[in-house]
Amino acid sequence: MTLAGSLAMPHRAPSFRPVERTPPIPNAVVAIVVLVTGEAMLFAGLIGTYLIFRISAPDWPPRDLPRLPIPVTVANTLVLLASLAPITRALRRLRRGEGAGLARLLGTSAAIGVLFVAVQGAEWARLIHHGLTAGSSLYGATFYLIIGCHAVHVVAAVVWLLVLAALAWLGRVTPERRAGLEMATVYWYFVCVLWVALFGVVYL
Amino acid sequence: MWTRVLARLTTLVLLAPGAQAFAQSCAMCASSFGPNDPRQRAFNWSILFLMAAPYTIFGSAVLCLVILYRRGASRRRAPVIELPWARRAGARPLDPEEA
Repeated sequence: MTLAGSLAMPHRAPSFRPVERTPPIPNAVVAIVVLVTGEAMLFAGLIGTYLIFRISAPDWPPRDLPRLPIPVTVANTLVLLASLAPITRALRRLRRGEGAGLARLLGTSAAIGVLFVAVQGAEWARLIHHGLTAGSSLYGATFYLIIGCHAVHVVAAVVWLLVLAALAWLGRVTPERRAGLEMATVYWYFVCVLWVALFGVVYL
Repeated sequence: MWTRVLARLTTLVLLAPGAQAFAQSCAMCASSFGPNDPRQRAFNWSILFLMAAPYTIFGSAVLCLVILYRRGASRRRAPVIELPWARRAGARPLDPEEA
């Protein structure tokens, strides 16, 4: 082709294929990581306070107060950790593009969380019956503050999971709209790992 | 006479909070609790814990975000520009529906 011929050709602009611009990290994941970081700092402050009281006390726990139920709490910890399996499976299914059974898996995790809170509540009732109240001593005050704060987080996470299970039941949790489940999974992992740390600090 | 009494009372009132604060001392002052006071050890451990906690927590968060960023960046596709002269030369179209 001569230069004159090439100049005579009609000009065609190159066609640009639209490229989907997605951020490397979804904004929802960044948000939940920031939230979890703040929550972790809250619990770090509570643990720091607890350490002061525990190390400076001559007897911890005080001799006239009941001991914490370690075997039941160990079993309850295993129950809580078992709740990670269904929610992890649900997220993996959704990432693979499968949406079947999501509501059942999320409901299972939420039910295990309810069981954890129920056992905690029963143990609290027993401790209060034996005289360990928030006003009985610093031991009781710090125990109910830290463990109660964690229980509030578990309840919030359970409500979140139940809402997600309902949305999955309605078919509104899809592989394209899975940010809520990703956030809930990160939060649920945080609640479970935090409980292991609190158990080691407060109970042992 | 009354002016002098009032001045002394005012001085005492103003100094009272300072005296109370001095008696409480600072939590980080090792000498405030005595040599073998367990509170000194408790404050030391608590200070060490609270000093390490922010670095650990924020470091973990940043590490998590870096790992997620690298995974996400590796999954991203490079932008593809389909050139008309490449199509004319018989190159395989990018979109099978265009074939």
